[in-house]
Formats: sequence, structure tokens, C-alpha cells
Amino acid sequence: MKFYPVKVEAREEIGGYTLLHYRWDGPVEPGQFVMARVAGYPVTFDPFLARPFSFYDHDGETASLLFEVRGRGTALLDDARDKIEVTAPLGRGFRVNGAGGPVALLGGGIGVAPLKVLSRRLESMSIPYDVFLGFADARYSDVAREFPGARVATVDGSTGVRGTVLDAAPNLDRYAAVYACGPNPMLAAVKRAAGENATCQLSVEERMGCGNGSCNGCVVPVRDGGYVRSCIEGPVFDAEVLAW
Amino acid sequence: MVVREKTTREKLAVELCGVALETPLMPASGTMAKEALGEVAGVYGAILPKTTTPKERAGNPPPRIAETPAGMVNSIGLQNPGVEKFLEGLDDFDLGLPVFVSVAGDTVDEFVALCERLSVDSRISAVELNLSCPNVEHGGLTFCAGPASVEEAIHASRAAFPDKPLFAKLTNEGVVANAVAAEGAGADALTVINTIPALTIDPERQTVLVRGGLSGPAIKPVALRAVYDVSRAVSIPVIASGGVATGTDAAEFMLAGATAVQVGMASFVREPMEILREFSDYLERMDTTASGLIGAL
Repeated sequence: MKFYPVKVEAREEIGGYTLLHYRWDGPVEPGQFVMARVAGYPVTFDPFLARPFSFYDHDGETASLLFEVRGRGTALLDDARDKIEVTAPLGRGFRVNGAGGPVALLGGGIGVAPLKVLSRRLESMSIPYDVFLGFADARYSDVAREFPGARVATVDGSTGVRGTVLDAAPNLDRYAAVYACGPNPMLAAVKRAAGENATCQLSVEERMGCGNGSCNGCVVPVRDGGYVRSCIEGPVFDAEVLAW
Repeated sequence: MVVREKTTREKLAVELCGVALETPLMPASGTMAKEALGEVAGVYGAILPKTTTPKERAGNPPPRIAETPAGMVNSIGLQNPGVEKFLEGLDDFDLGLPVFVSVAGDTVDEFVALCERLSVDSRISAVELNLSCPNVEHGGLTFCAGPASVEEAIHASRAAFPDKPLFAKLTNEGVVANAVAAEGAGADALTVINTIPALTIDPERQTVLVRGGLSGPAIKPVALRAVYDVSRAVSIPVIASGGVATGTDAAEFMLAGATAVQVGMASFVREPMEILREFSDYLERMDTTASGLIGAL
């Protein structure tokens, strides 16, 4: 896999998350991701693998990645102040066609990450949308300010509705399309709540090894039996394809 | 008479069981999807797609991978569409390079059936027997459990695949005895080693995360020892596999006795071309050739 060294142009902390900006003037589709790591290969073989991150935003010149420090790989990226290494955009993102009226965007925790660049796409297509975000607590929900008008839920009730993102988003079946990213149980609940009439696309968060389809490590179960790779066939799936 | 200096490309060439390889590098089975082929043209001397089995296998439920220090434990479960669909899609892997096909069966008969099926396909230059899978006729021990089962599987596969090179991929445990048995049973080359049995635990949830095989730079010294020892115990070629991440890693494996070198996980995090470039630079620096390195310790 080819990695490109890129300069960290800016680093922000938004609540419990880190946002890294770097220059990337190639095309980016909403819902696509990159594999990212700190610079220094092949000297640093530990950690060996890069980590997958959805694009948070992209304005044509600068891209950004929003992430939560969960382990060694993300901790090292969080400390990166100069250069990181990223792949070109990967995977199959959200398919937006704009037919049939307003759409709903749902993010659970760090699943908020791909919704910013998706909302930009929707605005460019003049498609109205509502944003619903769920977080553990008020510390993480700070990022909701980046989504004016978003309805927020927190598990501890410290901000917004007490509960999950679905408690902030009644009547999902009224939308022409539902786009969501978050942990699998949340996505399964979104799929049920969206009903069968709406277009429902779900961006999964799986651990990845390679990002280029080779290792078969990031699979999700599909309705027709077996597994498909979230890095190639996803990470955004039509909800009806998934087994859960 | 003026002896023409070999070009850089010519210095990379090796011969493996009569198959001319432009470079000694090739993918390790299960580490290169067709989606990644764009990065390997001009880099590898042969193509080796993911292991195929008689019938489709869904593979294991996730989680399938867990990162470990300088490596990864995987338990993919040989997810593949089965040999017939595999052959339908094999042209996707046509880069004009020799194609080696990795096969796995649950029984000796399945290995035989796969070998018979592949022996009549002219696109295939060699078969690699993945002997690390459980043998259901022997209580789930792998075919590498001992020399007797290695010998049985290879002897039967050899008869079913008589005309082209047959490789046996061996696990680290008991590798020298198994290698001697494989040579005696008619293998043309040995791939050494497969992933090493390993386990990861999620301490927060107090559950097993992934029980599978360890790969990556963490296992390189183990693989190097196995290649070194096996090369001294048999007279057939050895194909090294295990933790190759740089061009000098590849050179070390060839010095230890390997004729060719498989690149696995490293292709996830580096461009294979970088590894070839480092290998080529090493040859220049040492004023030697790839074939000159083989067992040249």
C-alpha cells in the first residue's frame, strides 16, 4: 500500500476528539476513508499497521481526520505535530442521489466523523437534511457545535436528550434517506427505525489490517450469507445488504 | 571475449524449480487481493493468490485480526469462493507473470481433487499446498502435525499434479523433520514458514480476542532460523515466508538459503516496489546477484 507523507497543517481538540488537518487536493467522496499512521517507516515496525479514519472534512485543498484516542496507533497520531502518512482515499462512500426529500444523518460517538463532509455534499446538491448525534457525555458532544441545528443525545443526560442517538431522532421513517455511522448495534437499530421505504446507508467501523482488500480482516456479515470486506465493498453499505 | 555487465533487472532474476522469476519476491498467500495488483507489476516474480479450497468457505466470524507488537494475529478462516469460481476469476491476476496457486483441503482426498483440477489449467505454473489447515480425518491436527501426515498429503498430491512444480508450505513446529518428509514424498520446493499459532486477549472484556496465527516482523527471526535449518537439511529449494518487511530482510532470507521470498503483511504498510528497490540496492552495494545470494553465508 502506498502512503503519502503529509504535513499536519493544524491540530484541534474538540471535546474528547482530535482533528488533524492536512493538504489533500485530490477528490474525496463522503464516507471514504484513509489508512493513517505516524511518519517514520520502515524504522518503526511497532505498531506495524496503519489505522483507518473516515474523512471528516475536505474543502478541495485540505482534508481533516477526526478521531478518538483509543490505543497506541491513535495515541501516536494524537502526538504528531509535523508529518503523518496517509493513503489515497479508499473504499465506497455514501451514494447520494437527492431524490424524494429531506434526509437524516446520524452519528454515534466518533461515528460523527464522516457526517461533516457528507453534509457539505448535501448542501452542494441543495438537499435538506437533519443531523442527530449521540455521545457518551457532554465532553464528547462538544463536536456537535460543528453541526448547527443538530439534535443531541447523551447517555448520561448531561447534554440534550438522555439516551442514544435514536432517542434524539424519532420518526426516522419519514425521511427519504437515512445515512448513519457508529457502532454496529447502533447501526442495526438505525436500520430498523428507518423502515423499509427509506434509503438507508450505514458506514461501519471495523478494525482493518490492510485497507486494500487483501487481508479479509475487516469483514461484516451479509444477508445472503458469508462476509464482505468493509474496506472495498464498504465502509458504507446499503442497510438491506447487511445481516444485522 | 567481453562479458557484458548484467543489468539491474538481470541481477534480480532467479530460477525456482525451472520457473524463471524476474525477481525473487512474490506475495505470501492470503495477503494480496486483486485490488492490490496495481502495486506489484514489475515488483514480483510470481503471483500467488489467496488459498483456494474445493468448496466456498465463508471464513470465520469477526473479530479476525488483532495487532500485536510488530505483528498481527489473524484468524480469517480461508474465506474464498471455492476452486471453480477461483479459476473463473484467475485471469484477473494475469500480469504476464507465473501464477502459483495455494490450495487447502480438509482431507488428503480434497488435496488430490484440487491438484487434479489445477493440473489441467495451463495458466498455473505451480501449486503450493497449504498444509497448516486441520486434517479432519486426524482429529483436527494440521497436516503439519508430523512427517507421516506431511508425507501422505504430498505423496497423494504429487501423483495428482505430476507435471509442474509442487510446493509444500510448512509451519514452524517440527519444520526440519517435516521438510525432510516433504522432500522424500516428492515436493519440488518448500515454503517456510506459515503463521505461528498465537492468541490475543481483550483484558477489558476478559475474552479471547483472536486465536489464530501470528505474522509480521515479530516472527522474522523465527522464520529465518527455520529457513536456515531447512535449507541445510534438504536439497530442494526453499521459499521464505515470515516477517519480510524490507529489502535487506529478503536478502537475509536468501543468504540463509532461500531461493525466493514471500512478502506478506509488509505489503499492507509499504509499497512492494520499495522493498524491491531496497533489495536491488543491497545487491549493488554487495556487488552480487539475487541468485548469488542463495545460501551464500
